[in-house]
Amino acid sequence: MTSDTRLRLTLLGGYLGSGKTTWLRHQLHVGAFGPRVHVVVNEAAETPVDDALLVGAEGMTLLAGGCCCCVGREEMIAALRRLCDARSRLSATEARLERIVLETSGLADPAAIVAAIQGDPVLVNHIVVEETVVAVDALHALAQLATEPLGRRQVGAADRMVLTKTDACAPAALATLRATLATLNGHATVSAAVLGVEAALPALSADAMPVPLPDLGGEDARGPIQPTQVALPEDLDWSAFTLWLSALLHARGDDLVRVKGVLRTPAGRLLLQTVRKVVQSPEILPEQGVSRSDNVIVFIGRGYRPEDLGRSMRRFLSPTRTT
Amino acid sequence: MCNACGNPAAPGHWTEAGAATPSDRLRARFHRARVLDDILRPYGLTAHDGGVVPGIQLGTMAGASSIVHNLSEVWAEAERLRGAPIDPLDPRYLDDL
Repeated sequence: MTSDTRLRLTLLGGYLGSGKTTWLRHQLHVGAFGPRVHVVVNEAAETPVDDALLVGAEGMTLLAGGCCCCVGREEMIAALRRLCDARSRLSATEARLERIVLETSGLADPAAIVAAIQGDPVLVNHIVVEETVVAVDALHALAQLATEPLGRRQVGAADRMVLTKTDACAPAALATLRATLATLNGHATVSAAVLGVEAALPALSADAMPVPLPDLGGEDARGPIQPTQVALPEDLDWSAFTLWLSALLHARGDDLVRVKGVLRTPAGRLLLQTVRKVVQSPEILPEQGVSRSDNVIVFIGRGYRPEDLGRSMRRFLSPTRTT
Repeated sequence: MCNACGNPAAPGHWTEAGAATPSDRLRARFHRARVLDDILRPYGLTAHDGGVVPGIQLGTMAGASSIVHNLSEVWAEAERLRGAPIDPLDPRYLDDL
């Protein structure tokens, strides 16, 4: 296997005023994204961006033509293509761009941006969407989640949630927020940051109760989003499994917010993850001995009975021959 | 890339991960077509991958056929040929064991 030399892309999302830029500025300052990083900032409102962002980044692109998950999508694709093009003109042995951090506007759905990048025939060859970081405002997130479907989609798309402004938030309120976030997205790692600086997060006590979130019209009529774990058989047939998962995503992709897991295949440990109908190209992970979380896939979604997933998969893996 | 048919456009569909060498990939294609054929038979459809023509050939018992490029397209096309949705979580499908 040749190593993957594609550009890494970190997507930074979060609701309006949730502290995305503050967090990013500090991360760039301490070099958390490595030395050769390009920052792409999308502003839904056409406001000038702080030059302070440029410190620590190799370059910056401002996308001011509207939110890049909808009206500004063309502009975003074009900007990313230019970056890929400039990088491809350099030899692989030269020091060239390693990473892009794309800060979305507060109104963007990260899943839509991932879908746009992976649906572009040029970008999919050059860019790996590595992680979706979502900033969550510890003070206001509960109110937003109660009323905004967008806020819930952003949380649902996260691989990593950064709780911001936690210093101004009462411990009990913070625990409630974390329990509520866990009901929306149980697989993302959670950390805290105050003005971008990593802050310690106390262990979540067992008696922290989530706030029941009201239904927001049609989307939630199919029941609450819940995680389901499906254990895979030891001698998994990867081809049959992909047939099943692609059929499932085709039929139920809008209900399956997230599918994530590590599979053992003949080629090695494969990290599989999807956001709605989009499957990220599976990555081969380094061997780490036998891990308990291998061969378990987590499905996060709604609109089906949890036990049906396992039944359906076993049905697909052992079809009865009728001819 | 073949300039007559434009394949392959994308750098490997995600379902093709895990097969590193060309022979592995070809073997995986044959195997996948066989499993897919088993799955589609109860729906009155057939699947075939000869290994030469790019893509998977889907057909109906009445003789209609079409070629699809990857598994994401298979299901949309199978539904079109069949004229009804294919849902792996359909209770009728699950109970037909």
